[in-house]
Amino acid sequence: MFWFLRGIRRGVVTTRYPSRAEPAAAQLPTPPAFRAERLSVELVERLAAACPAGALRRDGPDLVLDLAGCTACGRCRDVGGEAVAASGEFELATRERAALVKRIPIGGGR
Amino acid sequence: MITAASIALVAAAALWLGAAAVGTLAERAAGLRAVTTVSALGGVAAVAGGTLTAIHETHATRTIGSANLVGAVTLRLDPLAAVFIALLGLIAIAIGLYAPRYHHPSRGTAWYLPVYNLALLASLGVLVAGNATFFLVAWESMTVFSYLVILRHHRREGVARAAFLFLALGEAGFVLIVAAFAIFAAHTGTLDLGLMAARSHTLSSGWRAGIFVLALLGFGFKAGLVPFHVWLPEAHPAAPADGSAFLSGLVIALGVFGISLFAFELLPGGPAWWGLLTLGLGALSAVVGVLYALMENDLKRFLAYSSIENIGIVLTALGAAMVFGAYHHPELEAFLLIAGLYQLVNHGVYKTLLFLETGVVEHTTGTREMNALGGLIHRLPATAVITLVGTLGIAALPPLNGFVSEWLIFQGLFQGFRIGNDLIGILIVIAGASLALTAGLAVMAFARGFGIPFLGMPRSRGAAHASERGQPIAGPGLLAASCVALGIGAPLVLTVLDRVAHATTGTDIKAHLLVPNLTVIPAHTGFSGFSPTYLAVYLVCIGIVPLLIYLAGRPRAASRTVPVWDGGILSFNARMQYTATTYANPIRVTFDEFYRPEFHVERASDDPAGRSGPVHYRFRVMPIFQRFLYAPLVRAVEWCADFVRPIQSGDVNLYLLYIFICVIIAYLIYPY
Amino acid sequence: MTEEQRLAARLQERALALFRRSLHIRTFDSGSCAVCESEIRLLSSPYYDLHRLGFFFTPAPRHADLLLVSGPAVRAAEPALLKTLEAIPEPRIVVAVGACALGTIFTEDELVHGSVDAVIPVDVYIPGCPPSPLALLHGLLVAVGRLEEKVQSLRFDLREELPA
Repeated sequence: MFWFLRGIRRGVVTTRYPSRAEPAAAQLPTPPAFRAERLSVELVERLAAACPAGALRRDGPDLVLDLAGCTACGRCRDVGGEAVAASGEFELATRERAALVKRIPIGGGR
Repeated sequence: MITAASIALVAAAALWLGAAAVGTLAERAAGLRAVTTVSALGGVAAVAGGTLTAIHETHATRTIGSANLVGAVTLRLDPLAAVFIALLGLIAIAIGLYAPRYHHPSRGTAWYLPVYNLALLASLGVLVAGNATFFLVAWESMTVFSYLVILRHHRREGVARAAFLFLALGEAGFVLIVAAFAIFAAHTGTLDLGLMAARSHTLSSGWRAGIFVLALLGFGFKAGLVPFHVWLPEAHPAAPADGSAFLSGLVIALGVFGISLFAFELLPGGPAWWGLLTLGLGALSAVVGVLYALMENDLKRFLAYSSIENIGIVLTALGAAMVFGAYHHPELEAFLLIAGLYQLVNHGVYKTLLFLETGVVEHTTGTREMNALGGLIHRLPATAVITLVGTLGIAALPPLNGFVSEWLIFQGLFQGFRIGNDLIGILIVIAGASLALTAGLAVMAFARGFGIPFLGMPRSRGAAHASERGQPIAGPGLLAASCVALGIGAPLVLTVLDRVAHATTGTDIKAHLLVPNLTVIPAHTGFSGFSPTYLAVYLVCIGIVPLLIYLAGRPRAASRTVPVWDGGILSFNARMQYTATTYANPIRVTFDEFYRPEFHVERASDDPAGRSGPVHYRFRVMPIFQRFLYAPLVRAVEWCADFVRPIQSGDVNLYLLYIFICVIIAYLIYPY
Repeated sequence: MTEEQRLAARLQERALALFRRSLHIRTFDSGSCAVCESEIRLLSSPYYDLHRLGFFFTPAPRHADLLLVSGPAVRAAEPALLKTLEAIPEPRIVVAVGACALGTIFTEDELVHGSVDAVIPVDVYIPGCPPSPLALLHGLLVAVGRLEEKVQSLRFDLREELPA
């Protein structure tokens, strides 16, 4: 009898998010995450120039990533090589705009 | 016999004659008010006289001068005529209250008011006439004075032609009426109406049929029966508003009076086909009238076609009454006679109201064109409310008067199954179906007739700047109150009309018409029932409960008032609304074969690149009767006239030859 | 917190409690490229199925609880946006969706305001270009308080091994 229920369950395509993680979410394009110790000022300048949306910039000793502007195009990953990877984070909603601006210290530290 | 009723009617006549005599005073404002007040008082007297006669079922005659002399005048009091007299009085009161603020004191008004009062007097004469000559003289006077009423603004374009059309078709009808009376008088040997009625059974059925058909067609010209209606849409816009009200409320009712006079009093007991003929013409008029009404953008032409429709409904009821009478159902005959008279009185009331208000609209906005009006409910609030009452009445919505009378007519028609003959039953069902179509289209027509001018946004500067200051309210207000009273007070009205029906047909159906608790039943118990009085009370009561709930449960928190959600567009303008033409477009498309409209579209260029200029669109309904009935007749008459014109050559010698030939012929045939 | 702020917080909690499992959403496009709109439309598809969460789209702002705005607040759409917000009865939530609405793509000039919060107050921001329907679902659930915000605690700073 339970094969009947199993078959029905298999035919349901609706995602179970948010009660269960959605496996297909791993394929979503997402903003970059950085290996801070591999960053250098020169690399950061090149990353900022490569970002078409202007979401990456250097502010003093930090790389500033504005998540609001990131289109997840991946060009910073092409330029940055091993210093940049996809973060896999897509749950980025917030009540405060300022929380979307992330600072990563160049060269690590802190 | 002097009764209170006869005193009242003499008073009415005297007051109207007096108003006519001093009408020249109307050149000044005080004189204008005096003349119209006297006229209104005459109306009060007429209402009193008519109602008393109807209630007491008085039949009385009085002859002035020797009975056998041609110039003798016989007056009679008759309950059937009394209903019309009461209607005449009510209309006279309303117009008397309306006229001082509508007309300006001037020389034109100074001759118009006497003529109008003489028209009232002549109408009264038609209704109290006791012998054929007096009837015909009064009828013709009424026609002539109404013609002069239409000519009030004779210098305006189209007025003279419209008045001429009224007179010409009125005379055509008059010829047939004279013929009917002449044949009748010749065969019964008397001119007195009462004696004619008593002796009518001595005529052969062929002559009776001929007289009835002549009377139906002759009075049909005046009543606006299709296809004799073509004067109505022309004459009503040409006349001043109170003149149109008088024409529509009373003059066409006199046509119906003439038909019912012949059908129920002078030639009673006719065969069924008379009733079927009347029924058929009535149903045709009703449907044609409302279909044309939906295509009219001029308010007065629209109301004129609506009058044609209502008269059609009345004549359907009277025709069905005749059919039931012929098949020996006297209670249904009396019932439908009551229903028809009720519908006619209601029509007189609300049509007069609507025409008077159209006059107010025309004076305040400067136009009668529906496509140029709009938003008048804000600028003319009292007028809008009164017009709404009249519109609800004419669209036959409960609990007003139109609903009651149309319900009665439908209930009477639904009982056609009581006649054994299947064919007649089917014909009555077809008539009932036509009336149902008419009723539905009438609701749409009047939603358009009230909605487009009064609701929405003004479509022209005249409509945007209308003001109600100085406009007449009392006269139309009285008629609006009458609409409500005639609806809610239906049991009272039906009691009076039952007396009239009893006097006319000899059947008293009070017991089968009104059961004691204010409920109306259509002549047979167990068929259906309805109480307008209870309905009105109920409607008020069901409004109280939501009101109490609202008052008790009103939110106490502060609320925020914002404009109506309009989709977020920047601004509304009047051109975004429905126009009168587009509102009625579904009907135009459905009945395209009937209207056969002509379209005329002009644009700057057909080349797609050049299409940015304005597009002009003109649309005209084909006037079927004018083109296919009257125009050929007129052409035929003109052809005959051309044919005989050479006789009148202008040559004196030829005329002398004619005289000579005639003298010779006279000498030759004289000995024989 | 002052008394007023305490009351406001309680009111906000109460309002969010009302919207938890039943929310009517009105979308507004203030000049976007319509890709955010397609992602929003996908929320009604069987795969994401907004209705199972109790959320519905409504065409009339009078019936709406939440206004979902995309696009950089083009000046031509400003009167319509203001009228729409005014037509939504309180309590209401405003959510800005997409990079354009958050102000990073366009700067303010004579044609465009640049960001939605230059015109109307915004409660929740959902970044992305476009935000995927899952991100939108997360954002809506954050707006009604069924999920907690996550981005505050994320650092986008990898100290361990890079993922494949």
